[in-house]
Amino acid sequence: MALLREEDRQYLENLFKENLKDKVKIILFSDKAAGSKLVVPGRVECPYCQQTREILEELVSLSDKLELEIHDFLTDEIIAKKYNVDKIPAILFEKNNNVLGVRYFGIPSGYEFSSLIEDILDISRGETQLSPTTKAFLATVNKPVYIQVFVTPTCPYCPRAVRLAHQFAMENPLITADMIEAIEFPHLAEKYNVTGVPKTIINEKVEIEGAVPENIFLEYFKSALKD
Amino acid sequence: MDFISLTKPIEKIEEEQDVIILGGGPAGLTAGIYAGRNLWRTLIIEKAIVGGNAALTEKIDNYPGFPEGITGEELVKRMEVQAKKFGSKILEADVLSLKIDGNWKIVETSNGVFRAPTLIIATGTRPKKLGVPGEKEFIGKGVSYCAVCDGAFFTGKKVAVIGGGDSAVEEAIYLTKFAEEVTIIHRRDTLRAEKINQQRAFSNPKIKFLWSHIVKAIEGEKKVEKLILEDLKTGETKIFPVDGVFIYIGLIPNTELFKGILNLDSNGFIITDEKMHTSIPGIYAAGDVRGKILRQVVTAVSDGAIAGMEASKFLEELNYKEV
Repeated sequence: MALLREEDRQYLENLFKENLKDKVKIILFSDKAAGSKLVVPGRVECPYCQQTREILEELVSLSDKLELEIHDFLTDEIIAKKYNVDKIPAILFEKNNNVLGVRYFGIPSGYEFSSLIEDILDISRGETQLSPTTKAFLATVNKPVYIQVFVTPTCPYCPRAVRLAHQFAMENPLITADMIEAIEFPHLAEKYNVTGVPKTIINEKVEIEGAVPENIFLEYFKSALKD
Repeated sequence: MDFISLTKPIEKIEEEQDVIILGGGPAGLTAGIYAGRNLWRTLIIEKAIVGGNAALTEKIDNYPGFPEGITGEELVKRMEVQAKKFGSKILEADVLSLKIDGNWKIVETSNGVFRAPTLIIATGTRPKKLGVPGEKEFIGKGVSYCAVCDGAFFTGKKVAVIGGGDSAVEEAIYLTKFAEEVTIIHRRDTLRAEKINQQRAFSNPKIKFLWSHIVKAIEGEKKVEKLILEDLKTGETKIFPVDGVFIYIGLIPNTELFKGILNLDSNGFIITDEKMHTSIPGIYAAGDVRGKILRQVVTAVSDGAIAGMEASKFLEELNYKEV
């Protein structure tokens, strides 16, 4: 069953045709990768895996510049470990054989679907829309930075926070930025005390409540780099 | 799946425009539709969410033409698609300053400087804060102003909604989807909300009321655990245990940038005439940001239409002169 409306399909097909430049491989970690309906005892429950997979399959069918690679989280354990994927559904991106630090955990639906599309465009074009000041600073970052952005699909402010973090990750391979759908991963929401979204956590120590403008986000980011 | 909206246009936006609209809520988008249909180069600048506060409303039941109701998200998406269809461009940026230079209105944003002979201000409002101890500290830790964003975190929990107007009552009803108990705490002993909303709230078994109480403080260890209330009738102080508190006590106009430039009323709303004209020729205000008696989507789109037409008229007359 198609998840996208016909007018959205056409819109996206055109958008991709006019704006995609380089090939982008989308890597999905899911359950039941082979599409089997087999229930294996002890397997991770993943209520949104199937739908996430359907969205991505429809998306890549709209452009020959997009490709989808699907891994089973359990049977492809070694690959999951290699990419540091510890929960599903997980979406990663690969371009020119490099896996980027732009990641989604949980279904990119609702408002986050726009984030996904904008990320794909930026990755393919190899260019973010960050200001020159931000770009110049990010180029100097020389140690790993880990950003987590907690969202809900019904939060209109959230894509702003996700996109900022993801663009940061596109600028420097040492930066990893995860969108985390808080309702799907309640143990993480609990751990980080998330009861409002968006909530961004940088290097496990700096916390940002709400969506903030780029220059302010950059200041928080800088403060997280200080020892 | 809903319409897809990309906030950052792919194409470059020209510095010079005919109409600049600040704010992408229903008023701004409607102004965009009307200006765009008159073939003026129209730029809508939105700082956070296209659709504005209306996008945060789960369901809108009183917008004519949708007898079964429509979600705020879908209604504003439709307006956005319509504004774009008639040529309006939408840019995501914060507006930093407004300068007037002859007929030019110059808008400096976080994403470039733009100028146009006409400017429509539709910057709307933001939620008023209680201004009590603990409110700021617990934002994201139990204090929220957005039920659609954060409601799901309170599944099976106990929450309070502060306020007695339509927003408070509608959001309280929405929150009963998740929370086990929702208490509306209001400083008066009657609600201001529409009667139908009142009826729905009164008949909802999950909703309780605490009349004539105000919040004095919000307290907790790491997150909200209790409210300190004052009973206005007895003067007594009470402790009210909750897991979350949603605040809907009114609106503050987003007009800080226009102080000293435009005439504002004592509450900070922009003063206009019935043609949406402000105190400066070529500058119009539309929607919730304007001093008016009823702030609804339906009145916002009306303002937007008038402002879009008035801006168009102004530009036509300018054509005969030097800009």
